[in-house]
Amino acid sequence: MIKITNLEKFYRTEEVETIALNKLSMEVNTGEFVAIMGPSGCGKSTLLNILGMLDDPDAGSYVFNGTEIAHFNERKRADLRKHNIGFVFQSFNLIDELTVFENVELPLIYTGVSSADRVKRVEEVLDKMQIMHRRNHYPQQLSGGQQQRVAIARAVVNKPKLILADEPTGNLDSSNGNEVMELLTDLNEQGTTIIMVTHSEHDARYSHRIIRLLDGQTVMENIMV
Amino acid sequence: MFKNYIKTAFRSLLKNKGFTAINILGLALGLCACLLIVFYVVDELSYDRYNTKHDRIFRVNSDLKLGENRKDYAVIMPPLAKTLIAEFPYVEDAVRVKNAYTIHVKKGDVNMVESKAAFADPSLFHVFTLPMLTGDAKTALAEPNSLVLTESTAVRYFGKTDVVGTTMTLNENQNFKVTGVIKDLPKTSHFNFDFFLSMATWEDSRSNAWLRNDYTTYVLLKDKADAKKLSASLNPFLYKVSGDQMKKEIGMSYNDFEKSGSYFRMDLIPLTDIHLKSNRIGELGANSTIQYVYIFSAIAIFILLIACVNFMNLSTARSANRAREVGVRKVLGSSRSFLVAQFLSESIMVTFFATIIALVFAVGLLPQFNQLAGKEMAVTSSTLIWLIPAAVFTVLFVGALAGSYPAFFLSAFQPIEVLKGKLSAGFKGGGLRSFLVVFQFGISVFLIMGTLVIKNQLNFIQTTNLGFNRDQVLVIQNAYELNKETKTFKNELTQLPGVTSATMTDFLPVSVNRRSTSIFFKDATLDQKNSIFPQSWEVDTEWIPTLDIKMAAGRNFAADRVSDSSAIIINEAAAKFLGYKNALGQTLYKSNGGKTELSNTVKYEVIGVMKDFHYSSMHEKIEPLIIRLAENNGSISLRVNASNLPALMSQIKTKWAGFSPVQMNYSFMDQDFDASYRSEQRVGTIFIIFTTLAIIIACLGLFGLAAYAAEQRTKEIGIRKVLGASVSAIVGMLSKDFVKLVVISIVFAVPLAWYCMTLWLQDFAYRVNIQWWVVAVAGLAAIAIAVITVSFQSVKAALANPVKSLKNE
Ligand SMILES: Nc1ncnc2c1ncn2[C@@H]1O[C@H](COP(=O)(O)OP(=O)(O)OP(=O)(O)O)[C@@H](O)[C@H]1O
Ligand SMILES: [Mg+2]
Repeated sequence: MIKITNLEKFYRTEEVETIALNKLSMEVNTGEFVAIMGPSGCGKSTLLNILGMLDDPDAGSYVFNGTEIAHFNERKRADLRKHNIGFVFQSFNLIDELTVFENVELPLIYTGVSSADRVKRVEEVLDKMQIMHRRNHYPQQLSGGQQQRVAIARAVVNKPKLILADEPTGNLDSSNGNEVMELLTDLNEQGTTIIMVTHSEHDARYSHRIIRLLDGQTVMENIMV
Repeated sequence: MFKNYIKTAFRSLLKNKGFTAINILGLALGLCACLLIVFYVVDELSYDRYNTKHDRIFRVNSDLKLGENRKDYAVIMPPLAKTLIAEFPYVEDAVRVKNAYTIHVKKGDVNMVESKAAFADPSLFHVFTLPMLTGDAKTALAEPNSLVLTESTAVRYFGKTDVVGTTMTLNENQNFKVTGVIKDLPKTSHFNFDFFLSMATWEDSRSNAWLRNDYTTYVLLKDKADAKKLSASLNPFLYKVSGDQMKKEIGMSYNDFEKSGSYFRMDLIPLTDIHLKSNRIGELGANSTIQYVYIFSAIAIFILLIACVNFMNLSTARSANRAREVGVRKVLGSSRSFLVAQFLSESIMVTFFATIIALVFAVGLLPQFNQLAGKEMAVTSSTLIWLIPAAVFTVLFVGALAGSYPAFFLSAFQPIEVLKGKLSAGFKGGGLRSFLVVFQFGISVFLIMGTLVIKNQLNFIQTTNLGFNRDQVLVIQNAYELNKETKTFKNELTQLPGVTSATMTDFLPVSVNRRSTSIFFKDATLDQKNSIFPQSWEVDTEWIPTLDIKMAAGRNFAADRVSDSSAIIINEAAAKFLGYKNALGQTLYKSNGGKTELSNTVKYEVIGVMKDFHYSSMHEKIEPLIIRLAENNGSISLRVNASNLPALMSQIKTKWAGFSPVQMNYSFMDQDFDASYRSEQRVGTIFIIFTTLAIIIACLGLFGLAAYAAEQRTKEIGIRKVLGASVSAIVGMLSKDFVKLVVISIVFAVPLAWYCMTLWLQDFAYRVNIQWWVVAVAGLAAIAIAVITVSFQSVKAALANPVKSLKNE
């Protein structure tokens, strides 16, 4: 599903040039659950943003489902993104002014789903995430675990082929964190490809494979059994 | 402590340079515009207040109603002044001033034409405060053939002011002794003359006639005397002193006169009301109207409000950003009063800078504004007396007002809530801010509509068919100089190629020209009820063709018909007033003035009816007009049709030089026409300029707010983009809120503007209707302006990379 080759990304500030990704190559197949690990600042988030088409690489190739997209312009990327990829963030990134229901509904609005369909699909996923009873609450009124469940609901409501999660449990206690990991595992079992950045060896064990990064390069791959 | 406030405030302002700049700029712009208008209004309101006794000086006005005719005069009978002094102990003094119109003054060998001259009683210097530089104020105008000059006129003629005792030659052969030199009249005087000739010189001033009114008369009351009492006594007094004359000349008593539905009444107007509230027949100069003072004051208040609203909006918006700072400060132990003081010192500081900038600019722009407004305002010590306190007040009041909301609102927060980020939710519901935006844009829409309506009306005046053709008409204003030879001169001009026709008369359909009324009776019974009191003009046979006036019926005067000397032509308004179905052949008896009897009238036959044409301003309805043949050499009007106008002009001037050494004074009729609407034009221009300013200031505010809103919502925008929102969806989302507010403001402003502008138009007898497109244009303009302003910010926000905004968590 994903094949990147010699991917490079630099950040230039006034004085220093940081190499966030240094000729990175890797592959992820459909249906895999991959964890990315590495010390802080090694380029995990950068990689995830590029995989999620939020950012473009400075060099290298990125083939998504057989299409080279490294040179796609923003509009094409956005189009591809909204139909194929769901995001889960460490800090949830829910919109404070919208209710749980409205937050989850958003991706459907942007992909042009009719309003009757939207209600059906949002209710379906809220049910699945067991937060249906909170549908009219605002994010501020929920616990961290509940918020992350809403975020995951929002990420999957569009039935994406790929979910990118950047430290999804980073802000949660272990029991809430485990709940989230169970949810992701379920999704993966139903066929969604998942790439997750994490600092926790415990969480990484839920995945099939761990890719370890150091200074923007792959240093090791572990296959989980 | 105080120093600490200032220091912190200063740093905080510097940290947010963009906001601070918008804030200071918007406020300074508003204050500057406001200040200029205040200068204007203060100037208008200060007319005649230079007189130390202004609160005791009144002018006597008179109202005449004759049958269905009504006239308001600023003038009164010749003997009234002296009689009032004699009969009413609380009348301290009175003075008559009579316009002398044009005089000739010899300077070396040349005759200068002077148009600012008046006859005045010697009491002039007792009633009015006209300080005398040289000469004795008590005796200056006592003798016949004495005159008083203003300072600059003396300098113009003699190069010095020490000229008392010198002789000046006026009107070719009259020798006048200079008995005084006064300071130039202040610009804020409702009359303005260079020469005051002694009233004693003017034979007619000794007239004892009570049945005419042609002398401007001012009375000075004694201290604490009651003007109402005098006002109420005037008419009974008049009936008493002139009853006999009335009986003898008109043949009826005042009682019968009133019973017949007519009246003659006198009244007093305070000196300081004349400039703004008087527009009567016989004014000594063109006055202004209080309406403009109201309009401009309203604009000034609007602009100030818009600027203050901006300031408040931006300050509160920005302060929400600082909630975290406030929270941290509180956790660290800052007291509430410290925070309040800090926010207030910041906003007072911004106001202070803005006020300084505004003052500098207002004073710097004053010359330009003077030109625009047709004034000669200057900042003097008397300006500073109100300006400095006003500036200090502005700084404290506006600063405190704008700073109060963030100061008290934010400082009241519990630090834990602020730190948790609860504030942003409370901020978003900013009902106050929405209200203020609605208010601002409401004012803008109001002003846009006002501007459009004023423009339309002025355009209407310019382009309306007046009923005569004012283009290509050259008017030689001082044709009377040539005395008996005026007609010869006119006939010679007619020979010039390029001159289509020429008419000799002072009566012209441009409102700055001469006017005269007479009484006409419908039949030999000479009944008041069947009388008409129209404009009655003396013209020649070429008048109608030269001015290109159209006939509705009948014919023009003919040179070869002797009987036409007793013929008249009336306008349609007169025909209607007289109730004629067919006016041709009807007879009218023109009173010679004085006693109402047949022997004292002249009989005329109506030979033609002119189509109505606008001979006075569009403010007034077309009144009845009757013209007859008579020689009047006041001026000559030429219809020219020349491809080379300068050449023709120099030919005419050469001819003139052959007749008279005096300079020929001329103008073009279309320019005279434009001049008579100059005050409207001025108001229109000023209105447009300040409206634009108001809108710019409102936009500045909106710009800041949009920037703020976009900033507040960067995270949300980032999330939405990650979830697939397009740039246009984001721009739409950000603009929608503002557009909604603007639409609400339109709903409020349109009816109000409609109403106010209808009132303004009411002042014109001939006017445009407010068109629906005006509303559409004003509304769309406001929305467009808002959308464009907001788009700058929202597009920027929508284009930003979401990765960045989400990272800042
Ligand atoms: N916008 C930016 N400008 C400059 N340098 C950047 C920018 N974003 C990231 N970097 C740098 O790129 C490198 C990789 O950053 P990245 O955020 O991908 O790290 P990470 O592996 O996600 O770290 P963490 O585990 O702390 O989240 C870091 O050295 C970082 O300083
Ligand atoms: Mg990271």
